[in-house]
Amino acid sequence: MNVSGAAVRACGLVKTHGQGQSRVRAVDEVDLEVPQGQMLAVMGPSGCGKSTLLHLLGGLERPTGGEVWVAGRRIDTMSERALARLRRRSVGFIFQAFHLVEELSAAENVELPALLAGRSRRQARRRASLLLERVGLAERARHLPSQLSGGQRQRVAVARALVNDPLMVLADEPTGNLDTAATLDVLRIFEELRSAGQTFVIVTHDERVAATADRLVSMRDGMFVDDTWLAGSHARGLGGLIGLEG
Amino acid sequence: MGSIVLVARLVLADLRRHKAQAAMLLLAVTVATATMALGLSVRDVSEALYEQTRAATAGPDVVALSGDTGPAVASALASLADAPEVVAHHGPYRVVYADLTARGLSSNVVVHGFADKPGAVNRPLVTSGRWVRSGGTVLERGFATALGVGAGDRVTIAGRSYPVVGIAVTAATSVYPGAAQIGPGGGPTDYSGLAWMTRSDARKLASSRDLPVTMALDLKLRDPAATETFSDAHRDSAVRINFRSWQFTAQQDMGILKHSQPILVVGSYLISFLAITGVAALAAGRAAEQTRRAGLLKAVGAAPGLIATVLLTEYLALALAGDALGLVVARLTAPVIAGPTASRIGDVAGPTAATVATATVLAVAVAVLSTLRPTLRALRTATVTALTATAHQPRHRPWITALSALLPTPLLLGLRLTARRPGRAVLQACSTATTVIAIVALLTIHAQTERGYGLDGSAALPNLRGEHDRHLMLAVAILLVALAVVNTITFTWTTAMEARANMAIARTLGATPGQITAGLSTAQLLPSLPGAIVGVPLGTGLLSLFAARNAVDAPSSWLLGAALATLLATAAFTALPARLAARRPVAQALSAEG
Repeated sequence: MNVSGAAVRACGLVKTHGQGQSRVRAVDEVDLEVPQGQMLAVMGPSGCGKSTLLHLLGGLERPTGGEVWVAGRRIDTMSERALARLRRRSVGFIFQAFHLVEELSAAENVELPALLAGRSRRQARRRASLLLERVGLAERARHLPSQLSGGQRQRVAVARALVNDPLMVLADEPTGNLDTAATLDVLRIFEELRSAGQTFVIVTHDERVAATADRLVSMRDGMFVDDTWLAGSHARGLGGLIGLEG
Repeated sequence: MGSIVLVARLVLADLRRHKAQAAMLLLAVTVATATMALGLSVRDVSEALYEQTRAATAGPDVVALSGDTGPAVASALASLADAPEVVAHHGPYRVVYADLTARGLSSNVVVHGFADKPGAVNRPLVTSGRWVRSGGTVLERGFATALGVGAGDRVTIAGRSYPVVGIAVTAATSVYPGAAQIGPGGGPTDYSGLAWMTRSDARKLASSRDLPVTMALDLKLRDPAATETFSDAHRDSAVRINFRSWQFTAQQDMGILKHSQPILVVGSYLISFLAITGVAALAAGRAAEQTRRAGLLKAVGAAPGLIATVLLTEYLALALAGDALGLVVARLTAPVIAGPTASRIGDVAGPTAATVATATVLAVAVAVLSTLRPTLRALRTATVTALTATAHQPRHRPWITALSALLPTPLLLGLRLTARRPGRAVLQACSTATTVIAIVALLTIHAQTERGYGLDGSAALPNLRGEHDRHLMLAVAILLVALAVVNTITFTWTTAMEARANMAIARTLGATPGQITAGLSTAQLLPSLPGAIVGVPLGTGLLSLFAARNAVDAPSSWLLGAALATLLATAAFTALPARLAARRPVAQALSAEG
């Protein structure tokens, strides 16, 4: 399989849950290729398999069938250790529930993947400071997650996802727990990152978020039912796109 | 009535949901109370066995002993027999000091020369075979058991072969190997067994080999309790007579159990401590659930008293059941523990009321101490807050976070996990220290060298007291180590479950399952390290409180090895639950937390 130029590629991807009559095909024969630098939005109703797809692309779950390739390497046959190394270097995750370590400060949360990747504490600290500044939270670096708003927590999660310069960022409902203003903040950051060539796969059921993507895939019952290119959409003002400007 | 039914229903439902936890509490309390009840009972049981043997053998109230055999001694003993306080007597009879060999084993023996038909006082009870007859010998049961000799076998006494015609017990001497109440010429005694022969055979034995002989007289007093008064009243400055009261002999029986009581009682404290740490860790792990349960009960109108009853009843009921089981175990094993020789006969009554009360207090203390905190927390939390209770949020510890950032990933994760629950780390350290204390005690007891009961201190006949101490210590150490293993697995699993969200996050950020496993194991090993280090001097110090003056310390290499082995075992026992926890699907863990 030729995978050159693709950040991530899936072929005939299947994921089933349960057994016997309760067996459910969460992802059903999905083919997907996301070129580097592309922002892909995956939309669909709850339970359609969006999050499962994201987990499969990031190696958090193993497919029942099919193949997943990340940066030219097939990952569905990799050992857990190799998958962990791949996530360290090539994948950044952002979750709806933020999933920050509650007893660590914002800076310490952002440093964590860098330390896991073997960087020195000083390097990790410097990189974390840079990224927190980039997401507008330099002043809150020492705050615990419980002392931050939802939007601020998600911005910390974004900084954490970027700390090891990943090949792609996988975001699962990144604005699902945010109010409109916080959503706008996060999307502004995504827009900046996309402009800088960061590959994104964003699972969402918020059309305003999807509208910021280069490409929109719709899912239903584990299958892709639509694949639309939204070329030029991000050229418009972000606020206008998401209905926040008059 | 309705409240009782409600409490019973809720308790049973909770027990069904947490069977493993219930089993652990039940087992821990059973072991702790059984050990404590045994420790407290050994003296009573030993005394009871002596009393029953004394009753069955018409045991003397006083045995008068003289190192000499001349006419003056005979006259002095005869006047004792005629004393007004004396209602019956047996003797005087010869006590011949010889050596005995059987089945290749040699021992000192004292031979009592008795009549063919025992008199009114000191009638040894034949437990197998028959009583002495000319040319044959009867062996004391504890001695015969140690030699592995039975009726019908042959033994060699002072070079002459005798058939063993019977096996018997007596209360006139203390248990094997304390048959020699005075030594030859009234000098010091050595470990000796007891044999009986006819008077003429004993005389022939003594004269043929020119063996040392002393004289003994068994006396029955009008007032059996007045032995001391009798002894004081009949001390003769001309002839040296030693008096051995039945109370003294009963006390001597305890000599073989000298270390049993501290091993069992201190062991029971340590076992109880481990039980408390283990159950407290489990209860803490369920604190949020308990609080939500309390909130639910409050919401439907339950009063605080009822809620406290519901929360505590489960643990108290299990503790009391464990207490009852422990007392039964103690009752069944007490004769073996308190009677390591076969020198005594009789049945053992149940534990005394004081022992039952003490064991019950211990059981209740285990239950209450391990559950009081989560129960109080559940009671004090406001209803609405309780209904949404989540696990206690760990504190931010910047210096530990900064320090751990300098370390390799497993240590980084381990140190941060340890810091999340410092209380549990302390419990783990204490649990490890307790294990090391037990192992140090075991090693130190094994390092002791004691005289064997064989001839000239030969270990061919092992020192029963030393053997008994080692067996008891081994049993207590096994129980302690088993509980510590259960605790270690419990701590690891509870830590893993509480940190599952953080561990899943670490996995998404690139931590491997191996690193997570190592981190979870490290989280237990870090507090275990100081625990193991402190356990060595604690164990040595604790033993020194009970050790004999000539006791030797275990070699330092043994103690160091014990501490290292404990740490290695901790690493091994944490690996399995840590590995299982690390292999849980990441996506599932994150979904559950989201």
